Amino acid sequence: MNAIDRLHPTVMPVYFLAILLVAMFVSNPVISLLALLGGFLFCMTQCGLREMRAELKFYIPLFLLMALTNPLFSHNGVTPLFFMNGNAVTLEAITYGAAIALMVLAVLSWGKGFGRVMTSDKLVYLFGKAAPQLALMLSMSLRYIPMLRRQAKQISRAQKVAGMYSTESYFDRLRSTFRVISALIGWSLEQAVETSRAMRARGYGLKGHTSYSNYHFRRTDALLLTLAAILLAVVLVGIGMGAVDFAYYPAISALPHTALSVAVYTAFGCLSLLPSCIELGEQIRWNYYRSKI
Amino acid sequence: MELLQVENLTFTYPKQTTPALQDVSFTIADGEFVVLCGASGCGKSTLLKLLKREIAPHGEKQGNIRFSGVAQSELDERTGAGTIGFVAQNPDGQIVTDKVWHELAFGLENLGVPAPVIRRRVGEMASYFGIQGWYHQATDALSGGQKQMLNLAGVMTMQPKLLLLDEPTSQLDPIAADHFIDTLQKLNREFGLTILLVEHRLEEVFPIADRIMVLEAGKLICNGTPGAVAAQLRDHPMSRCLPSAARIWAGLSVDCPCPLTMREGKDFLHTHFSHRKGAAVPVHQPILEQPVIEAEGIWFRYEKKSPDVLRDLHLTVCRGEVFSLLGGNGAGKTTTLNILAALDRPYAGKLKIQGKPIGDYSKNSLYRRNLTMLPQNPQALFLKQTVHEDMEEIRKSIPDFNGQVERTIQFFAEKYAISHLLEKHPYDLSGGELQKCALVKLLLTKPSILLLDEPTKGMDAVSKAQFAKQIAELQAEGVTIVMVTHDVEFAAQVSTRCALFFDGEIVSAGTPNEFFSDHHFYTTAASRISRGLFDNAILCDEVITLCDEK
Repeated sequence: MNAIDRLHPTVMPVYFLAILLVAMFVSNPVISLLALLGGFLFCMTQCGLREMRAELKFYIPLFLLMALTNPLFSHNGVTPLFFMNGNAVTLEAITYGAAIALMVLAVLSWGKGFGRVMTSDKLVYLFGKAAPQLALMLSMSLRYIPMLRRQAKQISRAQKVAGMYSTESYFDRLRSTFRVISALIGWSLEQAVETSRAMRARGYGLKGHTSYSNYHFRRTDALLLTLAAILLAVVLVGIGMGAVDFAYYPAISALPHTALSVAVYTAFGCLSLLPSCIELGEQIRWNYYRSKI
Repeated sequence: MELLQVENLTFTYPKQTTPALQDVSFTIADGEFVVLCGASGCGKSTLLKLLKREIAPHGEKQGNIRFSGVAQSELDERTGAGTIGFVAQNPDGQIVTDKVWHELAFGLENLGVPAPVIRRRVGEMASYFGIQGWYHQATDALSGGQKQMLNLAGVMTMQPKLLLLDEPTSQLDPIAADHFIDTLQKLNREFGLTILLVEHRLEEVFPIADRIMVLEAGKLICNGTPGAVAAQLRDHPMSRCLPSAARIWAGLSVDCPCPLTMREGKDFLHTHFSHRKGAAVPVHQPILEQPVIEAEGIWFRYEKKSPDVLRDLHLTVCRGEVFSLLGGNGAGKTTTLNILAALDRPYAGKLKIQGKPIGDYSKNSLYRRNLTMLPQNPQALFLKQTVHEDMEEIRKSIPDFNGQVERTIQFFAEKYAISHLLEKHPYDLSGGELQKCALVKLLLTKPSILLLDEPTKGMDAVSKAQFAKQIAELQAEGVTIVMVTHDVEFAAQVSTRCALFFDGEIVSAGTPNEFFSDHHFYTTAASRISRGLFDNAILCDEVITLCDEK
């Protein structure tokens, strides 16, 4: 569960963006399927089987909903299956709906896995590279939000026990919520003054600020980034040369299967499956080591 | 060598006529451990903040402050920030970032230390302070003691020469506080770190300090070794703040050097009062009738899958009692109060308030002239711009109160001596003042049951003595009080019964004299000192009385 965690924070976003870029702008069922497969596997390695099973309960209806609503609104295509309210429901529209649904699911599953991998620490680090002030602000907000939530709970409980909510009517509850919020604003300002004092006491605002992180850029990271660049280059060149062009309308075109298109599929497949493979490889290695002990 | 020199320092806050500090002069040598004490509002926090230029309050300042011979205004920015470390009272307010490791590195980042050096220093500090285990955690998930330790470590990474601490343990439970003070002592002994500590819990720090300074109304009235200062304060109101051994000594007219530690106190009693051996404090069993809180077999957990916080809790509190719940952190004490206040619901067990099952109280009738609670953080009770406005809110909860509100507020304000605080903003009050105002606000609802969560947290000895008197008055009026506290001395002083909470249930209970004489760890300093000589003596005054009796 931790091979991905050990990578430098720049590696995963590169993979994530590369896959998303290709999956969202290329309408080719093979690409969509590969992206979905990679996303699903990745999610599974990060979130575990149990959570993925729960997730499927949401994904499958979503898939059906999208695949079936498209033909209701789109009547393009040359192969009508039947007519509904005088409108043709075409094979092309259903297929296109299904393809779009595949793409959306792929993006969703990648997003979920990515969200799990990119902890706040990593996000703050990435932001810090671009804008150190922004990174500090992000870090401070992440610290502040749970504090605010706790304070809100404390205030509303204290007020309740002090007998301040006269009835349980809707308006009364609304009013008391408003009171809590206005008190929270005052508390936040007070807190901000105290924090800024603590920051000044520790030299905040001096010239020549450095930034520290727990991350190291290792050989593996360089290797993975280079690999991503090569694979993405192959895919983009292939796309540029029209090797994976595919059309749903007016008629579903034949799936391209030239040598170049197979190369693009392979390259994209590698890109999409690599993160899961790293994670699975790690788990297999662990089991192997454990069996040796 | 003098590290810090303060000469004729006088400081007046803007729009104030009387100076907060008057002609204060002292020096601190390299490697000294100095404790600064005084009653609330005596100017000790002001003095401490003035010593750190970056956070010095605005106002009119006269006199000189020199650090290593350099005037404060001429220190360069990096020295000012790095070599004088400051740790404040509130553990939460000083934490800036969301992760422990980032917090440790924060000061060094500001000073522009290169990343590899930061790595080394942070690693060193994390190991020294025992932070490795929670190095990657979110700062929000830490306990109060851990937060304060992190604040100290975050300052120590900057390698300060002088460490200023403003009541750093006042928000901590006694075990975390002891650990913190021990760490300070270790830093002082092992690294020669110069420490100036403002503190009101003197029991632990008094014996380990090299020097004690006492401020009173902005003037430095004592400056000397602990023994000398204790002798000087013998008949002063501040003597209440002294360690128990010194207080017992101060109450008896024996001509000998002042004992400071428990052991010295014990030796002192055995040397001079061994002829009184076997004297005992009579135990009065309280008359327990008219139960107002009856809890039977209460089970509680926060979430379905989390462990039980309360397991089969049985608790009966009778009218007019002051019942204190003691015990370690996370034992379930505060949870118990929340359940008694119907803020949390147990999943099993019966709970009756004034003989009526708690579920039968419709809507908010439980909180009307019946039961109320002083939360651990009394700030949560105040939402308005002034204390007075907040108190007027009472009109909302007690409708038939109209017309008398103002009179009642004035009556209570006078009784509790808070009239001068009514027009202030709640956030401008000190801990003790806020506590008093919060209590008055709650008393306006005329409760017959008062639940108190850590009421003496952050209070100095003088405020505590006043608070004890108020509790006794309420008790005389028939108010029942249930209190959760870490403050063993206070519980011993005010309670009719004390109980030790452990692992979700009450493991022992009794009158304070029985309770504290039976316990070895959860007991008062006076009990530890007088143990073996006297029976049942748990307060300094009791020990003094037993010694003095003919």
